[in-house]
Amino acid sequence: MGRQLSFVVALWKTNLLSAMEYRVSFLTQVIGMMLNNAIYFVFWIIFFARFEEINGWDLVDMLFLFGVVATGFGAGTYLFGNSVRLSSLIANGQMDYYLSLPRPVLLHALASRSNASSAGDFTYGLFSFGAAIYFSGSFGGLMLLRFTLGCLASIVVLISFLVLVQSLTFWIGNTSLLTRHAFNAIVTFSLYPITLFDGTAKLFLFTLVPAAFIGALPAEFVRRFDLLQLAQICAGGAVFLVLAVFVFYRGLRRYESGSAIQVRM
Amino acid sequence: MPAISVRDLRKTFQMKRKSAGLRGSLRALWRPTYQSIEAVRGLSFEMEDGELLGFIGPNGAGKSTTIKILTGILHPSSGEAAVLGHVPWQDRQALAFQIGSVFGQRPQLWYHLPAVDTFYLFGKIYEIDDSSLKRRISFLAEAFEIEELLETPVRKLSLGQRMRCEVAASLLHRPRVLLLDEPSIGLDVVAKQRLRMTIQRMNDMEGVGVLLTSHDAGDIETLCRRVIIVNHGEIVYRDKVSALKRRYLTVKTVDVRYNEQLAPDFSLPGVEMVKVGRYGAKMRFDTRVTPVEPVISGLAAAGSLADVTVSEPSLEEVISAIYARTEV
Repeated sequence: MGRQLSFVVALWKTNLLSAMEYRVSFLTQVIGMMLNNAIYFVFWIIFFARFEEINGWDLVDMLFLFGVVATGFGAGTYLFGNSVRLSSLIANGQMDYYLSLPRPVLLHALASRSNASSAGDFTYGLFSFGAAIYFSGSFGGLMLLRFTLGCLASIVVLISFLVLVQSLTFWIGNTSLLTRHAFNAIVTFSLYPITLFDGTAKLFLFTLVPAAFIGALPAEFVRRFDLLQLAQICAGGAVFLVLAVFVFYRGLRRYESGSAIQVRM
Repeated sequence: MPAISVRDLRKTFQMKRKSAGLRGSLRALWRPTYQSIEAVRGLSFEMEDGELLGFIGPNGAGKSTTIKILTGILHPSSGEAAVLGHVPWQDRQALAFQIGSVFGQRPQLWYHLPAVDTFYLFGKIYEIDDSSLKRRISFLAEAFEIEELLETPVRKLSLGQRMRCEVAASLLHRPRVLLLDEPSIGLDVVAKQRLRMTIQRMNDMEGVGVLLTSHDAGDIETLCRRVIIVNHGEIVYRDKVSALKRRYLTVKTVDVRYNEQLAPDFSLPGVEMVKVGRYGAKMRFDTRVTPVEPVISGLAAAGSLADVTVSEPSLEEVISAIYARTEV
């Protein structure tokens, strides 16, 4: 475990060095993404100016939700940047590099790239969490711990879901379009109050598109401690992680490589 | 125990077939058809520890597929292989600590960073402690003459410089076997020679075994003692490079120039005239049919000689001839 951690930290450091070669581009993407998220949140500010709450959720709940989702999403796709392009790596035969080195293929592939714009999401998420604390008037070390736990659970489910969807590439060929739809679906649904959904829709958000594990559940857990919710987010994270690793390595046996000319960015 | 041992190795790919045009695409969408392509057909060979073995063949011969199976990247359809005692597709990680690989079309150096940053990352990947890594980098930098290049972003290096850095990176962890797939692709003559020199030097200094695939017969001729030629996934020739040359270099080409005009009906028995001019001629003969001595005597008897050049076909031409014989 310590060996893999030291290796992954070295990868992240190399990613950072690579990003710093183009500082202006890096900063532009970070600031651009923060503005993009802020503009999106303006919609909710306008909404809650007219309606006090929506099925028990108010603006502060939305700030907590955006805090957890943006921080988790930003950290996840920054640290595991290839989680959004695994499909093309598989389809174009670019897994060769990771297979020829003595490290776990999935971990190595995921952590070998950082998205600069994700750093913007991450920073925005921290601002949103800060604003949520300010307006709710509640803060303490325990809340910070719950926020960290909630974000970690959110990262695990998000990355596992993306790996699961893109592992289908091993069986059905390029899934870039499917990945894009799945990605949009999980981000969109994770940013709505869970109380809007019930019955089949709710089941859908806990299974096929597990947005509830990325947004609502951890956000509610951050707001107030609930042992059942803690158990739910831990179990959800563990199940999706095990499933993703299992499906990916089953698929890897079908990997067919390729001969396209490649570049390591 | 051989460093590499391969027995009846086979790899079949399923390729989707589609006829041309929109109609073909619609039909393939509704009822896709697949064709089995046998990239590797029952290969068997061995490579000794510390050996420099050439593995050559035309495009699509199965060279890269074989190398990818030997590094654990691909699973074979059937057959056995062992590299340094490991079954590559079962012990991929353990094997990767003991072998190095360079794929000419798949760089491992980070494009926007200086090569030295990738070297330090590889140090972590291969679990080399910091002081050993520093010593190793400095040793390889000297051996590959890349001291001046290490701190330049890879995107700014020439192809030849980059390839020397690539090979150096693959040797950081002192592998016992190096698998080189087309390392000289796209390099100019000088860069090729420098790369060959450094590979040879590492073989001499550290006894690293090299399995080398190349399109360039010069790589094989300069570096390898033994060669395996594959075509259509099968071995069509295996022997020492010297034996290959001896066996196939029987055709000689002679360029001759005279101080005086040649007779218009100039010819020699058993010799094919390629081109006859007023003061010289180019001709070809097979030493198995026509010995060298009467040809040279005949040339001398034909007039006052100004210059004679006898040349053999290049290894490239020899290999082309072997490929041509195995075409179906």
